[in-house]
Amino acid sequence: MIAENTQTQMRKGILEYCILSIISRGEIYASDIIAELKKAQLLVVEGTLYPLLTRLKNNGLLSYNWQESTSGPPRKYYEITREGQDVLAKLDITWRELLFAVQTSLEGRN
Amino acid sequence: MNKTIIININSIVFHIEEDAYETLRSYMIDIKKHFGNTAESKEILEDIENRIAEMFNERIQSGRKEVINLEDVQEVIARMGSVSDFEQSEDASDDIHEGQATNTVKPDNLGRKLMRDPDDKILGGVCSGLAHYFGMEPKWLRVLVVLFVLIGGSGFLVYIILWIVMPVAETRADKMAMRGEVPNLQNFKKSFDEEVRSFSSEFAGAGEHIGRGARTAGNALGGCLGAIGKMIAWLMLIFTGLNILGLFIFYVFNLMNLFGLENPILFPPLAVLALDDAIIALTFGFLAMTIPFLALFLWLIRVLFKTDKVNNYLSLTMFAAWIVSVVAVIYYCIYASQDFREKSTINVQKNITTQKVYHFSEKDVRILDASEKDSLRSKFNIKIDGQDLRNYLHNSIGITFESLDSLAQPYIQYNYSAKGKTYQLAAERAKGIGYEAVQEGQKILFPSHFLLQKNTLDRDQYVGVTVYLPRGAKVVLERNIERKLRDVPCWECLKNYADHDHQKYTEWTMSSTGLVCAQAEPEKDDDDEEEQVTVKKSSKEEEESSSQRDSVITIDGSNVTIEVKDKNVKIQEKKSKK
Repeated sequence: MIAENTQTQMRKGILEYCILSIISRGEIYASDIIAELKKAQLLVVEGTLYPLLTRLKNNGLLSYNWQESTSGPPRKYYEITREGQDVLAKLDITWRELLFAVQTSLEGRN
Repeated sequence: MNKTIIININSIVFHIEEDAYETLRSYMIDIKKHFGNTAESKEILEDIENRIAEMFNERIQSGRKEVINLEDVQEVIARMGSVSDFEQSEDASDDIHEGQATNTVKPDNLGRKLMRDPDDKILGGVCSGLAHYFGMEPKWLRVLVVLFVLIGGSGFLVYIILWIVMPVAETRADKMAMRGEVPNLQNFKKSFDEEVRSFSSEFAGAGEHIGRGARTAGNALGGCLGAIGKMIAWLMLIFTGLNILGLFIFYVFNLMNLFGLENPILFPPLAVLALDDAIIALTFGFLAMTIPFLALFLWLIRVLFKTDKVNNYLSLTMFAAWIVSVVAVIYYCIYASQDFREKSTINVQKNITTQKVYHFSEKDVRILDASEKDSLRSKFNIKIDGQDLRNYLHNSIGITFESLDSLAQPYIQYNYSAKGKTYQLAAERAKGIGYEAVQEGQKILFPSHFLLQKNTLDRDQYVGVTVYLPRGAKVVLERNIERKLRDVPCWECLKNYADHDHQKYTEWTMSSTGLVCAQAEPEKDDDDEEEQVTVKKSSKEEEESSSQRDSVITIDGSNVTIEVKDKNVKIQEKKSKK
């Protein structure tokens, strides 16, 4: 149970970082984000993404616009904001630090 | 073959099979419940709906089919993730403090919170609040409350107290607590804004488990109360229905009475009003009595048969009509009582001829034909000169006896009294009473009723008759007059007769304290009869007797009478007048 919890928490923290990274590459549709995340095995179901996107958007890190779709209803395309890029830059640093920390810990164990 | 339903998601139309629709709908409701009701969640839901529409669209575009079936929906839900998936991903974001907080809140939630529900209320939402608490339908509690209001109004008091005591569930959280729905939603709402911290899910699990147990107990109690409520509702429906029917019959028959179609269902107080007023007052009285029952009846029907709510205009009209009726009834009561404010009495004195024996009887003026005497028809169908007299015949007559000096002229005094708004009006009404005893042979007959002139209202018209007789006078009272006699112990006297069931009259002697029964104890029956005869034979003017046992010497003006108990010795002396 505790292991599971820690796993979810680790994933959750990384999940936001990854979403921001994916979106920072350019305008992207939610389903495509999911496809990428699924490939990375970070996310299993689509439903959980929407609350995260909404929260990031409400915090001003993301913005979106509607685009017509040939195959259905109009789609929301997400885009990173200036603020989002700043946050991402900070997270990049944090990630490197974490990576270093983890690597160091793992080395010591081995 | 499957029934399809047309649904519209984000303005795209889909044909969907019924079972698939049900699954989708319950899924959406679950999600909606999970995300709550904030602006943020609205957006999330929109995104999810949008995505579902897109996935449906893909399936249709691919040309495989035109109708979404259960399989499609299940696939879409699998891709989207179930509520438990959402919960899992969110659990992680709940911090330790949150966990503890939830833990301390939980005991409250085991039983639900007792609060008034502002969303489902008739008066204060007390019943619906109680219903949430017990997990039952509010309508049965309402039936109970209405019942207890009807039984002595205790329900009213209880309701008011509960209204004051129970807090109103204003916020969303309150309403959740009231319904016992708290855990999922509160956890969710906080999940977004919390940092990654650990959460003891064991606690949540245990709490949830206990909560469910408590709720089941509550539901059982609620179900039991519900069954009782339903039974009471049925009984009340029958009772109310019969009441309405009874009131209606009462109304119709009274109306018939007023319009001259005589029948025995009479409401005497109506007689105090003039005909036109009586019709209006009766109608308003009927409405004032019936409308509450009718409203209760309709409401019970609605509760029991789950029919639609009565149209608002109708209920408003009913309420307005009821208020008007009540006001009108009060008005007529005051109006009528005003006319009873002043009382006037007119005294008339009529001499009667002196007799040895005064024989009083009653003359039933209603009986025009002796052969009709006992038929009901004659009592309810009284017409004199083609005019219906029943409404003008009154029998409030009281006869009393007083003693006079032994030689004074006997007379009858009539006190005619009536009431009115003013003294003059009352006096006029009193004057309008025509009542007088008639002498018929040896008998003095008192009519059974007196007549009021046409268009005279019933205003406590009363005839007080006082018969003044000289002391020692012999009196015979026929039994038919007994009802009119006041302060005369007829029954006690009657008992002295051997065959009192068939005795048609009683005999009395006037004493200084009033009438005294002349019939001695049963054994002496025959002697007494003879004594009466001898007494009757003595001369009128000089007759003087006393009911007292001892010898009496009376000096009265010009007369001196010495009477000894032994009837054989009697000395009388009379001085001539100067």
